[in-house]
Amino acid sequence: MSDSSPVDAALKIHLRPATAQDVGALVPLLLRLKRLNEEFDPLLKVREDAEARATEILKQDIAEPSSLVLAVEGTGPEQGKIVGVVRAQVRERNFYAPSQEGVILDIYLLPLYRRHGIGEHVLSETSRRLKEKGAGIVVAEFPAQNEIATRFYAKRGFRPITAHHARLL
Amino acid sequence: MILATEPVVGSGRRSRKRAAPADEESEAERTEALGERSVRLARFYQGKIETVPTVPVRGMSDFALWYTPGIAAVCREISATPDAAFELTGRWNTIAIVTDGSRVLGLGNIGPDAALPVMEGKALLFKALGGVNAIPIPILTSSPEQIVETVLRLAPAFAGINLEDIASPKCFQVLEELQRRLPIPVWHDDQLGTAASTVAGLVNALELTGRSIGSVRTVLLGAGAANIATARLLVALGHDAGRISLVDQLGILQPDREDMDELMLKNRWKYRLALDTRGGGRTGDLAVALDGADVLLAASTPVPGTVRPEWVRTMAKEAIVFALANPLPEIWPADAKAAGAAIVATGRSDFPNQVNNSLIFPAVFRGVLDARARSIPDAIVLAAAQELARRAADRGLSADHILPTMDERDVFPHVAAAVAECAVSLGIARRRHSREEFLARARELMARPVELAEALAKAGLTHPMPDDPGSGGTAR
Repeated sequence: MSDSSPVDAALKIHLRPATAQDVGALVPLLLRLKRLNEEFDPLLKVREDAEARATEILKQDIAEPSSLVLAVEGTGPEQGKIVGVVRAQVRERNFYAPSQEGVILDIYLLPLYRRHGIGEHVLSETSRRLKEKGAGIVVAEFPAQNEIATRFYAKRGFRPITAHHARLL
Repeated sequence: MILATEPVVGSGRRSRKRAAPADEESEAERTEALGERSVRLARFYQGKIETVPTVPVRGMSDFALWYTPGIAAVCREISATPDAAFELTGRWNTIAIVTDGSRVLGLGNIGPDAALPVMEGKALLFKALGGVNAIPIPILTSSPEQIVETVLRLAPAFAGINLEDIASPKCFQVLEELQRRLPIPVWHDDQLGTAASTVAGLVNALELTGRSIGSVRTVLLGAGAANIATARLLVALGHDAGRISLVDQLGILQPDREDMDELMLKNRWKYRLALDTRGGGRTGDLAVALDGADVLLAASTPVPGTVRPEWVRTMAKEAIVFALANPLPEIWPADAKAAGAAIVATGRSDFPNQVNNSLIFPAVFRGVLDARARSIPDAIVLAAAQELARRAADRGLSADHILPTMDERDVFPHVAAAVAECAVSLGIARRRHSREEFLARARELMARPVELAEALAKAGLTHPMPDDPGSGGTAR
């Protein structure tokens, strides 16, 4: 609507590997994603200590070579502000080929940065980096009830490969 | 359908214009007394509307014309040309008032059975003010999908649908779906009626204070049905979306707010507004939003003090304050004025500048029905608002006169004619007349219920109010 948007021109973001200094800014974004997942499914109820866990996990992942944590930085008026996060890792597939899979665990962008082609750019960049780390297949994990994610990935050639079915004990 | 009782628009309302804050205790007593009287009268009249024939029935043989076998030929005509129903039956002037009873007045979710009295009252207003036959249809479901399905299946009887007292945000979904799928106008009064009368008042308030809509900063307090529609209309009128701050219980609505993802899933209209307005460039609470703002449009909590005078004091010079919560405004008009507001409007008839959807909906329906309109886009809503504003301006604008009052009966046909003309210009009218023709038709149809009610009362076919000492009425 107004022309002052920092993202009206697509891809006005800066994507880079996260460092330990970014953890404080990344944790709230990761928690927003987990709370969004909870909206989709009560079986994804966010734990009380989720914030502490997110801090710890992000620190570990940033230090771990098989993991990938990317920070999405805004530009223009939001220059330098972290507006999105990606968390992924390369895993061994014991019985299948290709033998290494790049698993996208989390992609989150703040609302202003959605629907401008930024998600697509982030996905292809993440896929490229996972391939560099040896992945021959890229897998996205997200709640089965998340139809927005289902459509997003389906449009980009992803299809269901394995399924997790759960019930409370 | 005719009025079972004389339309008494304007009676029972106090004409005294109060300047000082009301005594809230007497306010409560007054409401309670009104309620008791309403129940007594409801028991006496047992319904506010009824259906009556429009054709002569001279004897049983006439039914061969009005009913079978003659009527079969009429059916065949409609079967061949569905739009013929608007010429050969009462469909052209009949609408449904549909509710699920999920947000009735200040009563909340009381369900469809308990919502019926309000729908009957609305039907009375439609008839008395607009000459429209409105059928109350409370439906037994709370699911938006089922409301949509039900209305789609009922539509063949109606030339328009008025959605009423359906909770936000499902009201947005229901309205959008029905507007998309039905070839007749669909209206949700809590959104569009309130938004249109607000915009009408604002247009004149801006004029009076020498402002242009393109450059003002506006704060909307409350993000319910009315203000979400108002925000959309303001932008359609040329308001810069980036100068609008929508404020709710969590503060200024802006894209970084914690509840955005939830809104994305549950209230995409509000989510959209957060992105479009960017909070008006601000984050924080109402006080932050109001600092330097030209306009406050509050449609939130009926608690005086929700908007504090010290916040109004920080607004721009000659601020415009609409405190529209009912029955009590968010700030008393005298307090707003003392804090520097130049123009104050409320939702009440006992203060100047009542923003009242009853100024809009009867005329809008009269207009779309007379044009046999296929839909009711925002352009029509704005045409109604602008005509309402013009009517007040014609009588001279002042800080205490930015809107017509309900007593100015000739306003209604003028708004109706503006609406009908707009429908024609948009190419959505099945019937294309001149504005003058529409005006004459609206005047005629709007006068008829009054004449009918008078004639019926005179003939003793309707009863005076039994508790009115001046009427000489007796209990049945």
